[in-house]
Amino acid sequence: MFRPWLLPSFLFLTCVPAGAAPAAEAGALSYNRDIRPILSDKCFACHGMDSKTRKADLRLDVLEEAVKPLKEGTPLVPGNPDASLVWQRIVSTDPEEVMPPPDSHKTLNAEEKEILRRWISQGAVYQKHWAFEPLVNPTQAESETPQMRLDRWVNERLPAANLAPLAAAEPPVLIRRVSFALTGLPPSLDETEQFLRDNLPGAYERMVDRYLASPRYGEEMARHWLDVARYADTHGLHLDNERQMWAYRDWVVRAFNNNQPFDQFTVEQLAGDLLPEATQEQLIATGFNRCNVTTGEGGSIDAEQLFRYAVDRASTTAQTWLGLTVGCAACHDHKYDPVSQKEFYSFYAFFHSNADPAMDGNTLLTNPVMRIKPPDYQTKVAAFEENRNARQAALNAKTATVGYQDPAEQNPLPEVKDTEVIWFDDAFPAGAETGASGHPQQLVEKPAPVASGQRSLKRSGEGMAQDYYQSGAAPLEVPAGGRVFLQVYLDPQDTPEEIMIQFHTGEWLHRAWWGQDIIAFGAVGTPQRFGAGPLPETGKWVPLEVEASSMGLLPGMKISGIAFTVHGGTAYFDRLGIKGRLDPSTDPSRSFTAWRKSVAGKDLPEVPEALRGWLKEGPDKERSGGELQQLRGYYLQNICAGTVAELAAETGAVKEANKELAAYLESIPSTFIFRDLEQPRDSFVMKRGQYDQPGEKVEPGTPAVLPPLTKAGIRANRLDLARWLVAPEHPLVSRVTVNRFWQQVFGTGLVKSSHDFGTQGDLPSHPELLDGLALHFQQTGWNVKGLMRLMLTSETFRRTSAAPAEAWQADPDNRWLARGSRFRLDAEQLRDQALFAGGLLDLTMGGRGVNPYQPPNIWEPVAYTGSNTRNYVQSAGTGVHRRSLYTFYKRTAPAPFMINFDAPSREQACTRRERSNTPLQALQLMNDVQHFEAARALAERTLLLGGATSESRIGFACRTVLNREPTPEERVALLQFQTSRLEKYRAAPAEALKAVTFGTVKPSDVLKEPELASWTLVANLLLNLDEAVTRP
Amino acid sequence: MNPLSEYQQQLTRRNFFGHSGLRLGGMALTYLLGRDLAGAAAPSAVHPPLPGLPHFAPKAKAVIYLHMNGGPSQLDLWDYKPGLKNHFNKDLPRSFLGERITTMTSGQTSFPVAPSKFNFAQHGQSGRWVSELLPHTAKIVDDIALVKTVHTNAINHDPACTFLMTGSEIPGKASLGSWISYGLGSAANDLPAFVALMPRFPESGNGQALFSRMWGSGFLPGRHAGVVLRSAGDPVLYLENPPGVDRSDRRAMLDVLNQFNQRSFERSGDPDIQTRISQYEMAYRLQASVPELADLSKESPATLELYGPEVKTPGSFASSALLARRLVERGVRVVQIMHRGWDSHGDLPHQLGNQCLDTDRGTAALVQDLKQRGLLDDVLVIWGGEFGRTVYSQGTLTHENYGRDHHPRNFCMWMAGGGIKGGIVHGETDDFSYNPAADPVHINEINATMLHCLGIDHERFSLKFQGLDQRLTGVESVSVVKNLLA
Repeated sequence: MFRPWLLPSFLFLTCVPAGAAPAAEAGALSYNRDIRPILSDKCFACHGMDSKTRKADLRLDVLEEAVKPLKEGTPLVPGNPDASLVWQRIVSTDPEEVMPPPDSHKTLNAEEKEILRRWISQGAVYQKHWAFEPLVNPTQAESETPQMRLDRWVNERLPAANLAPLAAAEPPVLIRRVSFALTGLPPSLDETEQFLRDNLPGAYERMVDRYLASPRYGEEMARHWLDVARYADTHGLHLDNERQMWAYRDWVVRAFNNNQPFDQFTVEQLAGDLLPEATQEQLIATGFNRCNVTTGEGGSIDAEQLFRYAVDRASTTAQTWLGLTVGCAACHDHKYDPVSQKEFYSFYAFFHSNADPAMDGNTLLTNPVMRIKPPDYQTKVAAFEENRNARQAALNAKTATVGYQDPAEQNPLPEVKDTEVIWFDDAFPAGAETGASGHPQQLVEKPAPVASGQRSLKRSGEGMAQDYYQSGAAPLEVPAGGRVFLQVYLDPQDTPEEIMIQFHTGEWLHRAWWGQDIIAFGAVGTPQRFGAGPLPETGKWVPLEVEASSMGLLPGMKISGIAFTVHGGTAYFDRLGIKGRLDPSTDPSRSFTAWRKSVAGKDLPEVPEALRGWLKEGPDKERSGGELQQLRGYYLQNICAGTVAELAAETGAVKEANKELAAYLESIPSTFIFRDLEQPRDSFVMKRGQYDQPGEKVEPGTPAVLPPLTKAGIRANRLDLARWLVAPEHPLVSRVTVNRFWQQVFGTGLVKSSHDFGTQGDLPSHPELLDGLALHFQQTGWNVKGLMRLMLTSETFRRTSAAPAEAWQADPDNRWLARGSRFRLDAEQLRDQALFAGGLLDLTMGGRGVNPYQPPNIWEPVAYTGSNTRNYVQSAGTGVHRRSLYTFYKRTAPAPFMINFDAPSREQACTRRERSNTPLQALQLMNDVQHFEAARALAERTLLLGGATSESRIGFACRTVLNREPTPEERVALLQFQTSRLEKYRAAPAEALKAVTFGTVKPSDVLKEPELASWTLVANLLLNLDEAVTRP
Repeated sequence: MNPLSEYQQQLTRRNFFGHSGLRLGGMALTYLLGRDLAGAAAPSAVHPPLPGLPHFAPKAKAVIYLHMNGGPSQLDLWDYKPGLKNHFNKDLPRSFLGERITTMTSGQTSFPVAPSKFNFAQHGQSGRWVSELLPHTAKIVDDIALVKTVHTNAINHDPACTFLMTGSEIPGKASLGSWISYGLGSAANDLPAFVALMPRFPESGNGQALFSRMWGSGFLPGRHAGVVLRSAGDPVLYLENPPGVDRSDRRAMLDVLNQFNQRSFERSGDPDIQTRISQYEMAYRLQASVPELADLSKESPATLELYGPEVKTPGSFASSALLARRLVERGVRVVQIMHRGWDSHGDLPHQLGNQCLDTDRGTAALVQDLKQRGLLDDVLVIWGGEFGRTVYSQGTLTHENYGRDHHPRNFCMWMAGGGIKGGIVHGETDDFSYNPAADPVHINEINATMLHCLGIDHERFSLKFQGLDQRLTGVESVSVVKNLLA
């Protein structure tokens, strides 16, 4: 139901590519501007780069191919449309002949046909796609400043679009625009006042410079970059557990605040690990390529995941720096852009030797990771070590005083004794952390059956049931010739089918059972499931005994847990222990030599590193006196039954010191870094993008359509790639980068499709401006602050966004920039603005992500049961009021205040956010506790700082939120609203109390609730105004 | 009004059609009033269709998608294989095992065949074999078309769910509900076009994760993302006014807000401001329409009885099923219910029994309820998971107990209602329910068929993004399953 008068302009705006308007009418056709978009959209899918889908062996994307005669005729005869097969087919009325064919669902309209006809008759001149052509240095006069050039390039295009440049916006509008563009926050009252009072020339530039110098600048810039880098705080797939790499996020903030040149910024993120003597900062930067989603889902296939990670990293790198969507070429030659499948996999090969594993393990830190050492790290560690060494010296001194003689060296040898140790009687060993399957643990007293002491363990169950522990108690040692014994009483009324004892030595691997073999633990016929005999007689205590070795319990093994298990009945257990033989001269806990024999050939991770090798070599290898003394010292301090207790205090002190050091190291956060494997993986073209269909082998390389890559070594690596990207002759990187910053500042890129500079993307609206800025950026040393300053101090940026209807009609998206850009604030800016206006914003920078207010049941209903990001725990204190940049980013359920306003899920790179306008956004800004609490805080500030009259308070609130005084009409409306609400709340004070206590911050107690509540609604209203949620 | 403002407002109206899709003031349009929803909603609707859509006369006007998350066992519910009794605990012939087995069972030394322990019986005029676990669904078999041979590409939950709902295993694509919202809009002026529900599931169930990308809008405009209707807290996020703020406060505030925004519009000329005014009004209407929607007290005792006693528990599957009917009645285009807990790697008989107990009655009631109201002709109901389960047991096999691993090569889904032929079965599987023996159906073909029922040609329904013509049904060519169509 379009009104007829709208039709012409509608057609005009949608059918002609941006940038085409002025020249297309003039008659001179340009291949890149006028022809390629048509061919690319309508023809290249079947007659383009992709050899697999090419029909009729006809290529139309290169002149040499298109002029080769086929048997039906010659596709293109330059200068003669009627002789060209292409044209004949386009105008054919035969459904079998006409191109594009009907089943492609693509058609050429009359205008497009005419353009193609004219192009052929003008000689069918081809061009390389504009973005692959070298940067063109546009004309410029010596006397021009960069700002003047920028404005000239914009203004030159306005007449053709029937537009005239508008005047500059009012100063209060300008400072709000600049403040949001550079810091993501509104200007404070003081900042505005300072700017408005500065009447000297250069006031505007000085204001811009103040914001460029603010630490808030890096935060706002980082926000945009982190969308591209797909940074988040969880792994992203399946369990979506937390990962720790916020140091990378903070590095990006620092890089922008320090104005790191963009070429270095690039090299460090892509290849910081390959730089000579890479610094900690450069390694943190490589987190860029660890930001991708990873999985730890059981059942995943390693090769498939590694393939996916490399595809993601290659695609993200290409997207970010080349502005190309090369991901298509994972499966086939790119249909539109000159990137073959082989070239894609050559690019992928740069990232395919990643050292990080296919499965992330669902852990906080998936290798390779790096501990981030704080500046005082060395001093701190040295102090810990000094303390530890002092205690070690004390221990060694004490050890030297201990009298010990190895029994193996005594003559005659000491005699052999039988031993018996009780492990369970009346209770599990001290400290045991017990558990039960079935009913809770029952230690029963007489008159229940008790064989020894005061209590026995009663255990019953319909199926399998058990009592056990596997941690908490001191380890129990298996002696030589060990025989496990216990007392059992089976209930005659409820006789179990099976009873079992189990022992834990790091795992549950040692079992003996009596009765029927029902309990399905352990492999049949192994020491994990040793059948020890029939069930004992019921109704009486029966002693049972079983060789320790038949359960795989060998001398010297340490037992960390015991289980008593029954199946289908009730049993009482008592007095379990082990018998053995003690021969001091062969017992490792008595004889130094015997101990060395017992550990020979073994790896002993618990022993200090220096001693491990010596011990492994065994007692027969000759050792120096010093070495022997160290070994002996360790033995006496840690192993020898006769001396360990005597040295316990000193040994404990050393252990304590070691723990302190370990605790300190543990407290230092780590971050994901990127590394290659020692030996690179072979990379192959993967047929149809299938991880298990390798084809031709490829080496790391870049697409042929771009400048050649310079290799430092035999095989190209990521450092070569990064340097290639920022080489001055590269046609894409500076254009793509400048365009993204332009988009950030003006709302839309000069190339609107900022993610796609390929043939399917949009053409630049201002080609000379894009190239001019790109060259300027390169020539000024990739100076980002300089570029931002240049754009913000242009006249173009400063224009008013208020425009007459004709201007909106002629250029609804403001591509020609006759007026200033006006657009809705981003998700983070909206929340930060509310907190800022209320004086609640906590400006602490960096660190682990925080959890601000969030409605219940955002994470819980979607998360996997075992995920460690299943339960949302709101941050304490001002953690709820940090800048939104620091909100914990959970990929499978991002914060609703973010996605409600079009923030991406960070599952893949996002170069441009949408700006939607929905009722759910209205609900959030009106009702979300974070916005309502902020409104109340603003109301408090208004009442306390805004003067004594309602008039002056209205002025204060409007200045704070809108950066201007209210109009008389607005003043009246706001006052009436406030008065009417005050009446309501005076009549219903309980409601007022509820309204002003929503949130965690207590309201000021000097203010009356009805008054505060009424002003809260005024503040809530102001913060919901279109003017407040918009960058003006 | 001065001529300039009027002119700008006209301009604005065009902007609504093109961008925002929302207008000032609501109209209670429902196709219960006989309005042809898909065809005629265009000029005044809050959620207008794309020009040129639907491509042809639709059979279905709305979709209710019952997603059984985790992968229900086709062998224990629908794919009756009595012959398997003879293979109990015998190794599945190795010739069946492809390379693609999950690493959860690829290390098993044997693959013992686990016949279903459940009894099957024939039901309805169609004589459909149905497991004893689905006594209620067994009553609607003559209304449903059972597809036995659905297959998918992915073998793990995350990629398989992403594939099922977006046509791609890689995150970032648009979900099926958002595609339909984008293409067809909806007649619900006071409700979103696409609603997602996540009911509770039994504690015994192995609950896998859901991902917002399953109802997200991907590369489509954000307004097409499914709105999650929640069972706890606000049914729609931020719906409720803050404590101490009531509806009259909001009305008074919106009156001033609109007045200010109108002045802003007159100053700046930005048509987006008109959109914002209308969105605040829409928000205000939502605050009334959503509680009305969630209030089941006006449903007849007979209806409540149909869904069973659980219907009175907010957040249960039964109450979600009833809400789904109420939503499509009010013109909502797509309702997606995501029920979790179907991932039975071990203790399958117990877990699956509870899952069915939780969903069977509500599922059957939904179809019966729609039918009684004459709505089943207009509403397409789809039931299924992201893949099926293996015939061989994962872990220890006994006659009473077993587990099953993921199985993407064939599994069962069913469709009923608008555009679908009831009482049929499509596709047959081999003796081990391991591979399709006849008429395999790719998951993208299920989606193509769904779009067909809605009057959409899936091949022509595309959007250019990242240099590709993106489709819900993927890049490889797939066909509508004609045999399923009424």
